[in-house]
Amino acid sequence: MTPLLATEHLTMRFGGVVAVDDVSFTVNAGELRCLIGPNGAGKSTLFKCLTGQLRPSAGRILWRGRDITGWDSFAIARLGIGIKTQVPSLFDGLSVLESVRLALRRETRERARIQAMATLDRLGIADLALRQVALLAHGQRQLVEFAMVVAPEPEIIILDEPTAGMSAEETARAARLIRELNAQHAIIVVEHDMKFIRAIAKTVTVLHQGRVLIEDDVERVLADRRVHDVYLGKAVAPQQQVTV
Amino acid sequence: MRSAFEIIAAIIVALAAMFMLPRILELFALINATVYVSMAVLALSLALVWGFGGILCFGQAAFFGLGGYAYAVAAINFADTTLAVPVALAVPALVAAALGYVMFFGRISDVYMGAITLTLTLILFNFVNSTAGDQWRIGAAPLGGFNGIPATPPLNFPGDPGNPLPPETIFLVAVFALLLCYILAKLTLRSRFGRICVAIRENERRAELLGYDVRFYKLGIFTLGAAMAGLAGMLFANCVFVSPTMFSLFYSGQIIIWVMVGGLGTLIGPVIGAILLNLLTTWAGTLPDINPSLILGVVLVLAVLMVPKGVLPSLTGGLGRLRPGSGAR
Amino acid sequence: MDIFLAVGFQVLSGIATLFITSLGLAIIFGMMRVINLAHGEFLMLGAYAAILSARAGLNIWLAMLVVAPLVVGVIGLIVERLIIRRLYGRMIDTMLATWGLSLALIGAVTMIFGNTVAGFSAPLGSFAIGGFTASAYALFLIFAAIFMLFGVWIVLRFTSAGLIARGTMQNAEMAAALGVAPERVYAVTFAAGSALSGLAGALIAPFSGVVPTMGTSYIAKAFITVITGGAAMLAGTFSASFLLGAVSTFGTFATTPVFGEVMMLAVAIVLLRLLPQGITGRFFRRAL
Repeated sequence: MTPLLATEHLTMRFGGVVAVDDVSFTVNAGELRCLIGPNGAGKSTLFKCLTGQLRPSAGRILWRGRDITGWDSFAIARLGIGIKTQVPSLFDGLSVLESVRLALRRETRERARIQAMATLDRLGIADLALRQVALLAHGQRQLVEFAMVVAPEPEIIILDEPTAGMSAEETARAARLIRELNAQHAIIVVEHDMKFIRAIAKTVTVLHQGRVLIEDDVERVLADRRVHDVYLGKAVAPQQQVTV
Repeated sequence: MRSAFEIIAAIIVALAAMFMLPRILELFALINATVYVSMAVLALSLALVWGFGGILCFGQAAFFGLGGYAYAVAAINFADTTLAVPVALAVPALVAAALGYVMFFGRISDVYMGAITLTLTLILFNFVNSTAGDQWRIGAAPLGGFNGIPATPPLNFPGDPGNPLPPETIFLVAVFALLLCYILAKLTLRSRFGRICVAIRENERRAELLGYDVRFYKLGIFTLGAAMAGLAGMLFANCVFVSPTMFSLFYSGQIIIWVMVGGLGTLIGPVIGAILLNLLTTWAGTLPDINPSLILGVVLVLAVLMVPKGVLPSLTGGLGRLRPGSGAR
Repeated sequence: MDIFLAVGFQVLSGIATLFITSLGLAIIFGMMRVINLAHGEFLMLGAYAAILSARAGLNIWLAMLVVAPLVVGVIGLIVERLIIRRLYGRMIDTMLATWGLSLALIGAVTMIFGNTVAGFSAPLGSFAIGGFTASAYALFLIFAAIFMLFGVWIVLRFTSAGLIARGTMQNAEMAAALGVAPERVYAVTFAAGSALSGLAGALIAPFSGVVPTMGTSYIAKAFITVITGGAAMLAGTFSASFLLGAVSTFGTFATTPVFGEVMMLAVAIVLLRLLPQGITGRFFRRAL
């Protein structure tokens, strides 16, 4: 079976710094994959490469076997890839409902409204529909962005640190939400919060210094000695990827 | 519903102006009023491009001047103004499309966009100024350099070149054009295209991540605004005549000021701002020893420092822009 | 042979003029991320300062090289205090406010001195390049440009004031933590940039004539030069002046001065399409 999304030897250099170094991984339809790693592991850079915000220096990104390396963000989004950024990226001047309607690009006006309301309902924020986005609390803003990402029923959703700035309760709710969404969408979660990973993950890819350190079932990854060392900041092999 | 109400209100005001002003104003004042209306169309064009498209265009005067010159040159060559009007819209729109293609598809940032549009205006200004002499003519129309084209023909009845419109009728045409542009702008903002433009202004990255090709929408609204500015130039050419000052920094600055003072992100504000500030500068022009440029400059500095949201919205307490969706409705 | 020398000399003096008239804008933009749209009017004020003090009997060199930068530097200090300081970090608002300032200065100077061209003839005479004569003042301008380039570089690179300025521009909070008052650094930087604009205005006055609106014919060129140059203000302004000045002077020779400008704009737009970060976004990145 062709994987849904795959990278082949993906590399991103900034000047002399190699932020993502020869990363190859695949995600299949329906899968829930966590990409984890300590700060500076290259998670965000990888996210930006996948979502078209950065053009990788080398390697390929494949969507159902088709090369989409270097495509613009909008073209990648049109393939059916939902993207949620770390800091909620929203339309502050619009209402919640209007924002979600905009996400339903292909629908007619009336159908977009109905689907948008259905999505808001599903996320439990239907009561916020007419509120202005700028006036919402942080957790609510996160949910609005979730609604915008989920509404068009993307085949895969890529989430960058979805729990950043959330309270414990909101985090638990997000974890439930992600597991629910996974019933219908493949999901990639970029995250560094281990507890959250434990709550949602099946397969985990650990990045360290731009490279894939280990990729395995969540329990085995969390039990792995090297992963602990990485998170505690010890030097591990494979190492020394920062060349200046 | 709100915008339907606003459109009806605009129609009533326009009809009242069309009915009343020709009866109470002297001919000279009426021609001046026509100039103000053309300025209002120009203000509306930038209100759309900057206020809703979020495009920092410092060169709206370039499209204004291009529209005026295109009209004058076409009207002289065709010896009939019927086709000169679409030419006045098309030339600035085409230039804007070409320039916009370079800017938006090159993903040039706001500030650079301001720089490039401003530079275009200045260079057109210098260029048109340098077209004195007989070798500078397009068909039958001499460009006239510094003096412009004093022989700019006024509009005639469509298809009837021997029958030019009197200034009273040109005033009516101008008000009608302003009304039409206002309604067009309102409907554009209500449409899918307009809502997406507003969304892009709010958050370009997000719009893109939702699958919208931002460049395409920016190009669209930029081109529409340029065509509208061209229409304003055509109307202006009908009351005065075309000259290089249409491209001057003074004009491009003025347009920005109208929109700033009238309120960024509203349509009616800049229209009112244009008319009020024109009244102000005309009045200042009658004072001895006061240079209108000085007044405009001070107004702009104060507007930026004190009331960045726009003077008119602040006066009316209108936080309309902050209400959800008011931008898109 | 002579004609090549003569043309080469013209090109060099075109480049020098462009560099001189862009430097003040470049410093203020490069160090403070402020685009001063009143830059053209600062040139104009410099020219007026020079011509008025020369008419009052001051030595012409003193008027151009000392009075003009001093007067405009002080004006810059006042402008920074009244306008720029309130708008730091709001780049577009700063552009709008300085545009307003530009209109106001044109209006004010027109009211005071009238909309007439004043001028003084170029001091120094002319010299011969083979069969051609060239203005000795143009030669002086070329040397002035070189002197300004190295002067600014030396100040930034080797003096402690330059070090403080560079540090603050890199990281204002860190510099503040080290006991530097960023506001003072900004004020001095803006004043220094303004002074350079004033000097530039005085230097070009013999060629350009002095009118209230003279700034408008320089601001566009200075603007695109600085933007084409990119982040490194000295290396960028120098390389962009070199390229665009050469294009514009050759264009002027081939056709008319206006087409020289059009070609310059066209080249600048193409360059920005190819190098969106300006020349120094790609090359000489470590330079000042």
